[in-house]
Amino acid sequence: MCAERMPNPDVLIVGSGIAGALIAWQLGRKGRKVLILEAGEALPPDINDYMKTFLAAKDKVPESPYPPALFGATGLTNPRTVNAGRPTVLSLLPKGGFGDWTDPKQAYLIQKGPRAFGSTYQRINGGTVRHWLGTSLRFVPSDFEMKSRFNRFVDWPIKYRDLERWYGDAEKYIGVSADVADQNYLGINFSSNYPMPKIPLSLVDMEVEKAMPNLKVADVGLDDLKWKVSSTPAARNSQPYQARRVCAGNTNCIPICPIQAKYDPSVTLAFALRTGNVDVSYKTVASKVYVDGNGRVSGIDFIRYDKDDGDPVERGRLTAKLYILAGNAIETPRLLLMSKSEQTPNGVANRRDDKGSVGKYLMDHPLYLAWALTDKPVWGYRGPLSTAGIEVCRDGRFRRERGAFRIEIGNEGWNFPIQDPDTTTVDFVNGLNGSGLNKDSKPLFGTGLTCALNEKLSRQFRLGFLVEQSPDDTNRVTVPDQVPDELKDHLGLTRPHITYDLSEYTKRGMAAAKTTASAIFKSMNAEEFTTEPKADDPITFEWPPGQTTRIKYFGAGHIAGTHRMGERSENSVVDSLQRSHDHENLYLVGSGSFPTIATANPTLTLAALCLRTADHIINKVLK
Amino acid sequence: MTGFTRRKMLTGAAAAAAGAVGSANLTTQTAAQTTAADDADRKLFVALSAGLTGIDKERLSPTVDPIQIDREYFKQAKTDPAFDGLMQIIRADPSNPEAAAGKVLFNSDPNIMYLGRSIILMWYLGAWYEPKTLQKFNSSPPRPPYPPDQIISPAAYTQGWTWRVAQTHPMGYSELLFGYWSNEPPKLEAFIRKLS
Repeated sequence: MCAERMPNPDVLIVGSGIAGALIAWQLGRKGRKVLILEAGEALPPDINDYMKTFLAAKDKVPESPYPPALFGATGLTNPRTVNAGRPTVLSLLPKGGFGDWTDPKQAYLIQKGPRAFGSTYQRINGGTVRHWLGTSLRFVPSDFEMKSRFNRFVDWPIKYRDLERWYGDAEKYIGVSADVADQNYLGINFSSNYPMPKIPLSLVDMEVEKAMPNLKVADVGLDDLKWKVSSTPAARNSQPYQARRVCAGNTNCIPICPIQAKYDPSVTLAFALRTGNVDVSYKTVASKVYVDGNGRVSGIDFIRYDKDDGDPVERGRLTAKLYILAGNAIETPRLLLMSKSEQTPNGVANRRDDKGSVGKYLMDHPLYLAWALTDKPVWGYRGPLSTAGIEVCRDGRFRRERGAFRIEIGNEGWNFPIQDPDTTTVDFVNGLNGSGLNKDSKPLFGTGLTCALNEKLSRQFRLGFLVEQSPDDTNRVTVPDQVPDELKDHLGLTRPHITYDLSEYTKRGMAAAKTTASAIFKSMNAEEFTTEPKADDPITFEWPPGQTTRIKYFGAGHIAGTHRMGERSENSVVDSLQRSHDHENLYLVGSGSFPTIATANPTLTLAALCLRTADHIINKVLK
Repeated sequence: MTGFTRRKMLTGAAAAAAGAVGSANLTTQTAAQTTAADDADRKLFVALSAGLTGIDKERLSPTVDPIQIDREYFKQAKTDPAFDGLMQIIRADPSNPEAAAGKVLFNSDPNIMYLGRSIILMWYLGAWYEPKTLQKFNSSPPRPPYPPDQIISPAAYTQGWTWRVAQTHPMGYSELLFGYWSNEPPKLEAFIRKLS
């Protein structure tokens, strides 16, 4: 059936997320025939079913609107029973109970430690960008030159100027709202304007902005900084765009915008399908990549299913002139490493000796979260989840010593930190103090309850620090040859194994974030409520070293680095066009190609890289 | 509830005597009586809820109400064994819901007290916390978040009063327009007090 849908495609793409969808659209526009294999559910005619699932969910986590179901009859769905499983934040909890991060019956990723990898993803039409925030920042020029400028890690094989025009195209294709005048800091320059005006600041942003002139942060390399709040470029409509509505401030970008004012890749997929040259086979899992004696990819095996937990209904092999893996930075290396053969003893694109880099240098933005009460109402829980941030701290000489960060200002009160307003409401009704706001643990009712809740909820806000993580070859995705069945999915494929830790460089970045958060709160005369994590929390580390105090890092969903780009195959997997060093008709696209992760949310940069790759394929490869 | 039970029994006896021919009419009449009794109880439940929550009863159950969330909540609350005892408190003095709410929440019977709290949370969060769950929370406070036993319905989530008390809308359910977040919201009274 798959082959019948699009016989003899020019290009076979694995994955219908933003990377695969953008490339498919560009190729389809230029008359190239493209077949996409998507592991998860088909593109629905609207998002109503996703919204109903979200509204009815007890745990409104990023994965909650989307299939497969998070819960079975007795708890979290066992990933062994699902054909296209995915991780969930609900399985990042301490050992021994619900959500045990090491229990393969609850956690899709086989986490080998020593610390837990905190990010999750979707395997569904549109991929993980279904539940992204929409933040569309460009990298700063230094981000491409960490080795040259700071003697740290590696340089990218391209510079900011090589990507600049593709950033402009990406901003146009996904629809970004911003003003150039607010974004030309730290050496970022523009040759194009954003397609829509910026999203207005929230009252929370304005309150943080007032504190900037008096802010002093000592001892973390930011002493002389001129602090400033900047509106955040967002793939969220400030005007009608691409036949989509203007943002109505649903405060729900993650996990789902109910009116699709926020871009998601279903938009691009629809454009791609409209070309008449692109088709998608859903619920079709790529299971093995084949390489011939000439080192060219010769086909990809697939397994198709109907029900999320049902048996396969079709197996086969598909061929094309050119192959593009656009899973994500965990599923793409998983597929490559599953594809061992005589020709590719270490997996595809992974060299024949032991110097291959597939799966290595796994990165994220470990996120430091801090929360406080302002001294006057700022009325959170209104507007998009975030409308502004502090960007001027993303670059500086301190990057020789520690990870940089950007600061995201949240508009959703304490929803992210403690699942408010629910927690505080239960506290005040039931006489608890989990939030820290009901200090007397006194139960309230009637007018006393409304007044107390209003007084607290209207002053809540939070800051999120996206910390630059070092690329470490020990942080990696692996796929062992032999594993017990409980570590496989329902199709019998071995699930991704993750080894993960934070380097001292990254931890120092997190510690600097903590110091900066407290300084900002002090400057605002805000009362901090950030809690100390417990020792059994798998997404924490001891700080300072040797002490019992800990810092918690959340996953940002920014999975990167596992098929990184570079000039030589000794320390990279793809070239600057995301073409495999080993196989000339194979491209590995997405944030897995990032050699370093910088501080900006990765989607715009990966979109720009993919548009550059599509242009190269159209004009140089499939002319 | 005693009256309701008696009516039901008497009607049942009369129906048996009347035989098959008259049974349809009697059943209809019974249903009407039951509905009327139930409606009266539901109105008392809403009045008590206003005292418990601090939200005006016309807000909780508007005259013209296509959503009718009060019916869902009434149905849910009735499933609890302590419901009848709770309703007797408001029946005893229906003119003073605030006082009744106090009697519920400071009741010597913990089953009634915690049911009162469950009802408040149902109105505020659209979620059902079993009274026993809340009691357990108090004897051994867990770290937040506190997952509910169930979400009443998708509509219930969108009707949660905690959002209005925070002068906003439920996350994912804005009926407002672009840019509203740059301006202060209407005053709290506009969200929860009596409609003029």
